[in-house]
Amino acid sequence: MFDALMDARTIALDDSHGDVLLIVMRGEHDIYTAPALRDRLEEALGEAPTGVIVDLSGSTFLDSSILGALLDARRQAIERSIGYVVCLGEDPEPGVARILEITGLVPVFPVVRSRAEALEAARVAPADA
Amino acid sequence: MSDEAPIVHLDLPARPEGVGVVRQALVGVADGLAIDGGILSDAKMAVTEACTNAVVHAYEDDLGRLDVEMYADQEQFTVVVRDRGVGIAPRPARSSSTALGLGLPLIAALSDSFEVRGGPGQGTEVRMSFSYEREADPADENPITGGPGPTGRWES
Repeated sequence: MFDALMDARTIALDDSHGDVLLIVMRGEHDIYTAPALRDRLEEALGEAPTGVIVDLSGSTFLDSSILGALLDARRQAIERSIGYVVCLGEDPEPGVARILEITGLVPVFPVVRSRAEALEAARVAPADA
Repeated sequence: MSDEAPIVHLDLPARPEGVGVVRQALVGVADGLAIDGGILSDAKMAVTEACTNAVVHAYEDDLGRLDVEMYADQEQFTVVVRDRGVGIAPRPARSSSTALGLGLPLIAALSDSFEVRGGPGQGTEVRMSFSYEREADPADENPITGGPGPTGRWES
């Protein structure tokens, strides 16, 4: 019954950018995929990279379970002085942009649009703890 | 409205994999009603949060049910999410790592009107309505305040 839904949701670790690791999320993500996202984020932070980017440009839906996972990872990144940034893409799904905007989380993560901006920001260690 | 038959009635296990099924049903209803994409997007998020609250907070185990009804009239559509769990109470989530505490603020910010009923031992019902044509953005009327606290919970 749930196979078609599960096929549309992926969370992949992209290590092709040297010292910055990308978590690339596609499709709809909610409480069902939040544990897998937490695992991937932990895996990425555990590699002690310079920075971690969560790429939401292919995401079509996020809920507060996902925001919770992203915020927990941000806290861990700050503790370990690892750069952390959320990349929304140039043409994000309106609902994904909206949840980040109405919760005021755009400057918190921070959220940027382009992959190039994200790579640059992720190489800057977070200043506050 | 409660005397009318719902256009959709789902009775699902209150488990994480069911929440996406509710969203799919909502998309199907929205297609039939030609609902604006932005309003559908808000409805998907609000309904997801209501279902997630039931999945995370209502039951002690995996055996609980999630009951969802969808109604439509000339001005709006309404989604009712019900559980038969422990009811509204300051009870921790079954898995503490999944609870940010933003569910109700998001429902308030994304629906045109909503109501939460229930009490200890009575289960919880969340009724959310979405107008086909909005005069104002509900996120401006009921803005989300606060931010993530040091414990990981949202603090207003």
